[in-house]
Amino acid sequence: MRLDGVGRRYGVRGPWVLRDIDLDLPRRSLVRVEGHNGSGKSTLLRVLAGIDAPSTGRITGRPRTAYVPERFPAALPFTAVGYLTHLGRVHGLRGRTAARRATDWLDRFGAGGHARTPLAELSKGTSQKVAVTQALLAEPELLVLDEAWTGLDPAARETLDRAVAERVAAGGTVVFVDHDPRRLEGAADARYRVTGNRLARLPDGAEPDSAERAGPPGPRVTVEAAAPAGTDALADITAGHGAAGLPGRPSVAPGPDGTTVRLTVAAAHSDALLRALLAARPPWHIRTVTPAPDENR
Amino acid sequence: MIPLLRYHSVLLLRSHRWLPPVLLYAAFLAVGVQSGGPVLDSYGLAAFALLPLAAWLCRICVTGEPPAARACAAAATGPGRTHLARVATGALSAAVLALAGSAYVALVADPHASDHRTAVPEVPAFCAGLLAALVCVLLGTAVGALCNWPVLRSTGWSVLSALMAAVLLLVGGASPANAAVSGLITGSTHGTVTLPWLPLISTAVIAAAATAVACRLSSRRG
Repeated sequence: MRLDGVGRRYGVRGPWVLRDIDLDLPRRSLVRVEGHNGSGKSTLLRVLAGIDAPSTGRITGRPRTAYVPERFPAALPFTAVGYLTHLGRVHGLRGRTAARRATDWLDRFGAGGHARTPLAELSKGTSQKVAVTQALLAEPELLVLDEAWTGLDPAARETLDRAVAERVAAGGTVVFVDHDPRRLEGAADARYRVTGNRLARLPDGAEPDSAERAGPPGPRVTVEAAAPAGTDALADITAGHGAAGLPGRPSVAPGPDGTTVRLTVAAAHSDALLRALLAARPPWHIRTVTPAPDENR
Repeated sequence: MIPLLRYHSVLLLRSHRWLPPVLLYAAFLAVGVQSGGPVLDSYGLAAFALLPLAAWLCRICVTGEPPAARACAAAATGPGRTHLARVATGALSAAVLALAGSAYVALVADPHASDHRTAVPEVPAFCAGLLAALVCVLLGTAVGALCNWPVLRSTGWSVLSALMAAVLLLVGGASPANAAVSGLITGSTHGTVTLPWLPLISTAVIAAAATAVACRLSSRRG
């Protein structure tokens, strides 16, 4: 999806909240948007999600989209699964598929026990799990998360981190805003900052508050894996699919005994990387999975 | 579109917010349409009340979703389509009322003109009554679409403007609803049935235009 000269203001004479935004959102990418409170982040995300139309400029190549708001106080007369099934149908799924995926995702988020609870009786955290599930069950090509982690318990936050990595590994685009600067740290492919109604791309690997810090920060995981018999591991992965084709674009190094390779990715991408390696034809063999030593801290 | 209509219909049914307008219409019919009254007059009365009720039902459907849920559905299929589904659900629910009201009139009213002697053919009278009711439903839907979010966003202005618009459209000489209803009532004095095709076509155009304006604004007003 591409944004060309997009601007947005509320009302005909309102001040410009966003102006002259040019943005390319490639497939298979994770994009972080930063900015102060009231800087226009949420407006940008609403425009990206297609909820608000740009006042000027144009958006081309919109894929199937899903959106998760920061708060989801949905006082709707449905049960959690009932609502999710309706939304799944709106997303183009069959009712039965939507209900099954809704139950699966609620289970993954630890809210399976609330599947039949009316939405109005859900706690704030469980409501947010319903909001997240609503977006994930559609397997959208563009997923827009506006502080979707807010209100989730730590386990559900990690589940959402991994779900985001899965979406990206499956070829999707994920755009997110989160107040926690360490959210999906080191996993984002691009970071942008909204300042004074403009959008600026931040240099790769730099933290918002300490631009001098070098290297990809955040927890990382090293996967030591052996290539299928008869293939040269290192050549195959760099020349064949290319490391860039693997989830999380791992950095590649030869293993200690020469028969394996070491792939290092941001922790959030590790499950998706393992899944890709094990599901490859012929499959790879995983030797070890270890937290990578952190050179930056 | 079908999943959206289904979602909004179930939402309307389960919210129970349809109860007040439906009960009001039932009470209006019970009081206004006496058994043995002239059939065309009764159809006119039954159609007349549907204009404000259709605007009310439209308001219920348009405002039934919290903004967060509205945003989620809008991202999935586009804000214009979701708003179209909301307005259409309101119009369909009012059309159900129109059908029920016309059926009630057909059952209880006397199939004669105002003089109780000239016979009025029952099937053409039913068709004319139903079409007049649909004229009022469509015009009420147009009022509902233009007097609520996203065109008007404050509850006070919405309700006030919808009420005033409904009254003006009911009594105003140039209004198609008025034309359809007075066509029935003048027909009742002579025992002649005229199908209100012209008012129906013009209200269909008006309702489509009003809904298009509202749907277009739904992605621009936030």
